[in-house]
Amino acid sequence: MIFGKKPGGISCRQVAKDLQTFLDEETDDESRRHRIAEHLEACRDCGLEADTYRAIKGALAQRAPEIDPATMERLRAFSADLSDDTP
Amino acid sequence: MQTGAGEQAFQNYVLPELDVLYRVAFSITRNNADAEDLVQDTLLRAYRAIDRFDGRHPRAWLLTIMRNAQINRVRRKRPELLRDPDTTMGRVADESADGEGADRRLLDRTLDAAVETAYLDLPEKFREVIDLVDLSGLSYLETADILDVPVGTIMSRLHRARKRVRDHLESVGIDAATTAAPEDQ
Ligand SMILES: [Zn+2]
Repeated sequence: MIFGKKPGGISCRQVAKDLQTFLDEETDDESRRHRIAEHLEACRDCGLEADTYRAIKGALAQRAPEIDPATMERLRAFSADLSDDTP
Repeated sequence: MQTGAGEQAFQNYVLPELDVLYRVAFSITRNNADAEDLVQDTLLRAYRAIDRFDGRHPRAWLLTIMRNAQINRVRRKRPELLRDPDTTMGRVADESADGEGADRRLLDRTLDAAVETAYLDLPEKFREVIDLVDLSGLSYLETADILDVPVGTIMSRLHRARKRVRDHLESVGIDAATTAAPEDQ
């Protein structure tokens, strides 16, 4: 933490509050997005915090198992049947 | 029942979302049979309504249909509070381990295992949001829509859930920031 300094013009506290929303790419305000990105580049603590949440998000996303191909096959067939019912 | 244009719209807008629909349905129902049933229900409703769909945001449109379908299903059945946390969606992809990067993979697996432990320890409402956002890739708004709660609630649950995972990692001495390198993938 760089005391008295606010990389990107925002405090570590504000970054901590918005970090997950930022990593989810759900920060709507573009200038805020830039300020957070700038802060993460310059501030080591917040940068590491961001890496931690990126890793967690990544590990959670990896849990997504493959969908059983037979299930998808049945759902595609079901969709095709809907169309076939047309007289 | 459907015009040619409707058929085309169904092909264009609905079928590409089949994967996401199934993942979301599984997140909500927690078992394969119910998930498949819910997707079929959603497809049927979407097919019937496709002529009235303006072509914008097909995923959001489909998720709204799915939510309504699910509300109907829950009404029909008795409220089922017991969910089997051990049910898995299918097979997890095999990982192959070979020479270079094996250390990294070992570290990754340690991280993955710890994350898995923390995930399973989360309250069901937290896990649900993690599944929809981190696994299915839905936006906050889409997730709020399908669960019929405010976006703020989604954010709060999601962020608290990840914080719990983070705390768990810390408590078992795993430094996630240096363990996993997302750019490796
Ligand atoms: Zn900082």
